[in-house]
Amino acid sequence: MPNSAEIARALLIAAREGPAVASCTVMGATEGVEVPLGAKMLVYADEELGDIGEGPLQAAVTEFARSAIPKHLVQTCAFTPEGEFVEGRRAIEAADAIVEILVEIVEPAATLLVVGGGHVGLAVGQLGAMLGMEVAIIDDREDYANQERFPYEANVICGDFGEELERFPITANTYIVLVSRGHKVDELALRTVAERGAGYVGMIGSKRRTRTVLQHLAEEGLDRDALDKVFTPIGLDIGAETPEEIAVSVLGEIILVRRGGGAQPMSEHGRFLASARR
Amino acid sequence: MPHDEVYEAMSSAFDDGAPVALATVAQTLGSTPRKTGAKMLVREDGTFVGTIGGGCGEAEVWQEAMDALEDGDARMVTVDLTEPVDGEDKICGGIMRIFVERLES
Repeated sequence: MPNSAEIARALLIAAREGPAVASCTVMGATEGVEVPLGAKMLVYADEELGDIGEGPLQAAVTEFARSAIPKHLVQTCAFTPEGEFVEGRRAIEAADAIVEILVEIVEPAATLLVVGGGHVGLAVGQLGAMLGMEVAIIDDREDYANQERFPYEANVICGDFGEELERFPITANTYIVLVSRGHKVDELALRTVAERGAGYVGMIGSKRRTRTVLQHLAEEGLDRDALDKVFTPIGLDIGAETPEEIAVSVLGEIILVRRGGGAQPMSEHGRFLASARR
Repeated sequence: MPHDEVYEAMSSAFDDGAPVALATVAQTLGSTPRKTGAKMLVREDGTFVGTIGGGCGEAEVWQEAMDALEDGDARMVTVDLTEPVDGEDKICGGIMRIFVERLES
């Protein structure tokens, strides 16, 4: 059984460097249920550290926690002592006995890699920083890639697109936005990043232009599946016009990919309005 | 959002052999300043790292954390932000359940 110091160290490493881990803590239980309050277990993709009990509850929480890693979930979940997942307030209140477990995914801040430091790149980066992402911006023109241009925390890289992207570390926690000055650069950038397992790759441009880019790369032999996963044209359809509005549309799409959701107005009136305009 | 500053403070307290109290938002109902998973770590001298939302709710949780450091018991604290304070309007209007535990290496 690992002690608290080992758990704390493992969480610090997960938050700083990754890989992501699902941290599970027993936070409560119906009176009479024998569980150790505060017991902790860390569930990685392929192993566990610690445990929160034994038998079916332990197995069920482990399985649930592992499946929560790609969803970036933070949620207090209810299980029966026999390991059955209980969903919804009514079901929880109706159950005879419940164990409450906080499942939280601990991982480094997501990286937002913006290719192109123009007006749209500037706004996308700003909004990403506001959302707590680690922002990196690449451009080959010094006027568009200098620290003064970006009045927020960002790793501004000025250099050759191909070379810089080649050496930029990309993981499933990297979100890439291609908004460079032209399709030649976007194509070059996409060629460099498409097959590297990023959490998101989006490319700006009209349907016609972006289809041409994808066709070129497919003809060159790039992986079809990887190209199919490129979000292009980029962003949610909210009628965005200005660079800042486009940034909202793009980051909205990134949040959708990260958290899941229906990408619809919540209200009936909003949905009515959206469908009327379609 | 990563809580690396909280984990770092925890790790370094354990390196010094000191216990800490950790307050974690377990659940929120309605409009609350922080969401599930928000953390505040309290050291024996009362200093703290991180936040579970500021204001009077946080002061209450800090006191519970100091008590937990003393008696060692894990506890669930309910902070009700729906009550107007001193006749002022409700600011947030939600309820937070916060798990407070003492941890040592």
